[in-house]
Amino acid sequence: MSETPLNLLKLNLDERVYVKLRGARSMAGTLQAFDSHCNIVLSDAVETRYELVDGELRSTERPSEMVFVRGDSVTLVTTPEDE
Amino acid sequence: MSFFGKRSRGGAKGRHPQQQQGGGAGAGAGGEPLDFEETYRGYGDYGQEDGDYLNDETFGDNAELGNDFDFGHGVQQQEAVPQPPQQQPHVSYVQAAQSGIHTAQMDTSADLKPMASLWSTGPPAVQQPHILSMEEIERQQRQMQQQGFMQAPPPPPPIHPMTPQGYPVPPSDAPYQGFMQGPPPPPPATAPNAPTAPNMQQFAPNVQYGMPGQQGAYPPAFNQGAFPGMYQASSPAPVQPQGAPDRGELQSELQPQPQSQSQSQSPQPEREQRLASGQPAQLRTRLQQQQQQQRREPLSPEEQQRLQVRHAKVEKILKHAGLMTPRDKDFITRYQLSQIVTEDPYDEDFYFQVYKIIQRGGVVGESNKGLIARAYLEHSGHRLGGRYKRADIALQRMQNQVEKAVTVAKERPQKNKNKLEEEASGAGGREGVLGKVSTAMNSKTPRRQLQIPLANLRSNSEIEASELEASAKVPTPGALEEVTQSLDNVEISQKSRVRRRSSYAFSSVDHNSVLGRSGGRKFVLSLIETVYEEVLELEANLRSGKETNNQKLWDALHVNDDVYEVCPFVSMLTFDKGVKIMPRIFNFLDKQQKLKSLQMFFSELSHLNIIIISSYKTNPTPSDAQLKKIDLFQTVFLKIIVSFLSSSSNFIEIMGLLLHLIKNNNVSFISTSKIGLNLITVLISRAALIRQDTNRSNVLSSPEISTWNEIYDKLFTAMESKIVAVFPPAEYTDRVVHAAGSTAPTKYYDQAYIWQFLASLALSGKLNHQRIIIDEVRDEIFGTINAAEEMREQAKNTQGAPADDLLYRRDKLYQDLNLFLNVMGLIARDGEIAELK
Repeated sequence: MSETPLNLLKLNLDERVYVKLRGARSMAGTLQAFDSHCNIVLSDAVETRYELVDGELRSTERPSEMVFVRGDSVTLVTTPEDE
Repeated sequence: MSFFGKRSRGGAKGRHPQQQQGGGAGAGAGGEPLDFEETYRGYGDYGQEDGDYLNDETFGDNAELGNDFDFGHGVQQQEAVPQPPQQQPHVSYVQAAQSGIHTAQMDTSADLKPMASLWSTGPPAVQQPHILSMEEIERQQRQMQQQGFMQAPPPPPPIHPMTPQGYPVPPSDAPYQGFMQGPPPPPPATAPNAPTAPNMQQFAPNVQYGMPGQQGAYPPAFNQGAFPGMYQASSPAPVQPQGAPDRGELQSELQPQPQSQSQSQSPQPEREQRLASGQPAQLRTRLQQQQQQQRREPLSPEEQQRLQVRHAKVEKILKHAGLMTPRDKDFITRYQLSQIVTEDPYDEDFYFQVYKIIQRGGVVGESNKGLIARAYLEHSGHRLGGRYKRADIALQRMQNQVEKAVTVAKERPQKNKNKLEEEASGAGGREGVLGKVSTAMNSKTPRRQLQIPLANLRSNSEIEASELEASAKVPTPGALEEVTQSLDNVEISQKSRVRRRSSYAFSSVDHNSVLGRSGGRKFVLSLIETVYEEVLELEANLRSGKETNNQKLWDALHVNDDVYEVCPFVSMLTFDKGVKIMPRIFNFLDKQQKLKSLQMFFSELSHLNIIIISSYKTNPTPSDAQLKKIDLFQTVFLKIIVSFLSSSSNFIEIMGLLLHLIKNNNVSFISTSKIGLNLITVLISRAALIRQDTNRSNVLSSPEISTWNEIYDKLFTAMESKIVAVFPPAEYTDRVVHAAGSTAPTKYYDQAYIWQFLASLALSGKLNHQRIIIDEVRDEIFGTINAAEEMREQAKNTQGAPADDLLYRRDKLYQDLNLFLNVMGLIARDGEIAELK
C-alpha cells in the first residue's frame, strides 16, 4: 500500500467521516465505499444544507440510511469533530 | 614599602604610615590580593600541620615566640624590606612581603598588577574608628552589595575586586568599618598569621573562637585584622561554629573586598599587642607551630620543595583569584544549576536517590532492595511530614534557591538551543566560560546506562512505512541480535509501561489519546487495513485449499510490539472494523497466538477504548453510537473470548489471564464498566467451572489450587470495599435505557450481568468472601426486591399487556438476583429471602 491521498481515505473505511460538498452542503456518515473519482457511499448519513435567509444562516438536516455522493461535488473529507 | 617596615613603627597606628608611604596606587593594590593568597595559603598548608609537632624540639620552645614573628628568617626579612622599592611600582607590599619570606622558593612575579588602583579608595575610610551594631553591619553589607552590583553589573567580573572605583565609595567603606571595628574584636591570633601566609587560615578559626573572652582584651585598633572582618561580614553571629576552614574558604570567596582590605597591615601591631597582653597557652602553641614551620622552611630542602610545589599551586589558584564578585559567582552557579533544575526534586531526582543508596549500600542484591524501599518510604514520609521533618524545610529552602535558577533557565531556552548549534559548529557559546554546561543531559533525561538499540526507536513513520510496504518483514539476523542485546531494555520498558499505565488509566474517553500512545490513529487504521488484507488472503488460500501461513498476519497484529505504550493490537479494538475482523483473525491463529493476544488484551484492558466508554465513571452519558459500539464489542469479541476459554484453555491459562488483568489494571475501575465486568465474570466463572469439573475427572494439583486462591485473593482485595461500585447509578441506567429506547426491546436496564458477576465472585470465594460481598451489596439486594414487589403492586392495578410486562420484569429481577443468592444457598421470593431447599 503506497501513500496516496485515496489511501488515506481507505484507512477510514467503516469509520465516521465528514464530507464537505459544493453548494453549501455537508454530509456526515460512515464511509462504506469510494473510488478514484471520490465518489463516496455513506451509511447512516446526515446531510446538512446551509442557506442564508434574510442575512441569517440557517441549516436544514436530512438523514439518510445509505447515500451515494458523486465525487465532483466533494470538496473535503475529514473525520467528524464530535465522535 | 613592605609591611615589615610597619613593625618598627609598631602599635595600632601601623596603618597610617603604611598608607602614607604606600600612597601610590601600587602599594594599595598590593593590599587587596593578600587576603586571598593568605586564605589559599592557609589551606595549602593544612595538610602539613600534622607532622609538625616535633618541630618544637628542633626549633625551640615558647620562649622564642616573640622572635618568631620575624618569621624566623632574619636575613630574608631584611632582604624583603628593601625589595619593594626595587620592584615595579605596581608590585604590592603584600607581594613584596611574601617574596621576602619565600624568596628562595617563590617566584615573585605573581600577577598582581591589576590591583594597583585599589589602594586609593579603600583604606582611608577604614581607619575611622566607629563601632557599629550587628544590625548596622548587616544593613550596610546588604547595601553595599546591592549598590555595588547595581552600579557595576556582573558581566565584567574581573574588574570588580580589583578596581574599587566600580563601587561607590561610601557604601563600600561602610561595611569595611563595620567588619573591622564593630563586633567583638577579632582574635588577634589570626592576624599575625597574615604575613606568614601558609598556616594562617588553618589556625585562625580555632583560635578565634576558642577564646572569645580574650578578644575583648585587645584594643579596638587591632580589630582591623582582615579575618575578623571577613568572618563577621559573612555571618552576623559573633561566635562561629568550628569547622571553620570550610567557611573560611567560602567566605573568602564571597567577601573578597572586606577581606582584602585590611590584609597585612595589622599583623605587627597585633603581635606586639599580643605579646604585651599575654597569650593563652593554646594560642601560643599554635603560633609556635606556625613559627616552627616558618623556620623550618629554610632548613629542610625537602620541605622547601614541598612548599615550592604548594606555592606554585597556590600561585596558580591565585592568579585569577578575586576576578569574580560574589554576584558573578551566583550568576554562574545559577546558570549551571538551571540546567539540572527540576520542579519537583524528589520525584524527578528519584534516580539519584536510588543511585545514592546503591553507592552507599555497596552490596548488590537483596539488601539493596531493602535499602531502596526504605529510602523511598522515607522520602514519601518527608512529603507527608513523615520521618525527617526537617528535610521538608531544607527542601523548601532549596526550592526557593532553585526557583531563581528556574527563572534563569526559562529565560534562556532559546540561548541554550543556540548554544547547541554553536557547539556543533565549534563556535563555542557559553560552554567553558560558565563551566561545564550539559544540555544533552538534565534531570529529565539523565544519562542512560543502557543504550536502547535504534531499531527499537524507529519513528512511527518508519514503522508505518515498513508496515505498508511489507507488513511482515522477516527480521534480519542483525535485528535479531539487537533484540537479544536489548532484552534487558525490553524488560525495563515493560516495567515502565506498567508504571505508566496506572496514571493513564483514567485519562479520557477520547480514544485519540490512547491511539496516540500506540502509534497514532492513522497508524492503527493502516494496521487494520493490513490485517484485513492478510485475512482476505488467508481466507482465499483456505478456500482454494492452499496451505495457510499466518506469520504475516501475526506480525501485522503487533501483539508483542513493545515500542508503543499501548499495544497496537489493543488499539485496533478501538475501531468497530477492528472488532469485527477479530473472529476472522482468530480463525487463523494457533492456540499460543490466541493466548498471547488475549494476555496482551487483558494486560492493557485499562487502555481499551470500549472499557472507558462503557464505564459510567469515565463516560456518564454514553451516546447512541457509543452504546452501539459496546453492543458490538460484547457480541463479537466477548464471544471470541468465551469460546476460547471454554474450548481450548486450561486452568493455568485462565489463571494467567486473570493475573494479567489484576496485575496491570485498576480492577475497581474496570469493574465499573459493563464490558470489564463481563470479562472478569467470564474468567472467574470459567475457572470455577473447571474446578468443579476437575473435581470429578482429573483433580487439580494443590499448587494450582493455592495459586488460584492467591489470585482470587488479589482480585478480591482489589475489589473489596468497592464492590457496590459495580452498580451504575440510576442516572446512568436511565440514560442508557433512554438512548437505547427506540431500538431496544426492553425499557429497563438489564442488571443481569452484575448479578452474574457477583454470583461467580461468590462462587469462587470462601464463606468470609461471601459475607463481605453480601455486606457491601445488601442495599442493592433489598433495593431489587423492593423494586420487584413494587412492580407486582403496579401490575395488580393495570390490565393487559403492561401488566404482563411488569410481571415479567418482576420475575426477571428475581431471577437475576437469585443467580447471586443461590450461590450462597439463598433464594429471594415474594419479597422474602429464604434458604434454598
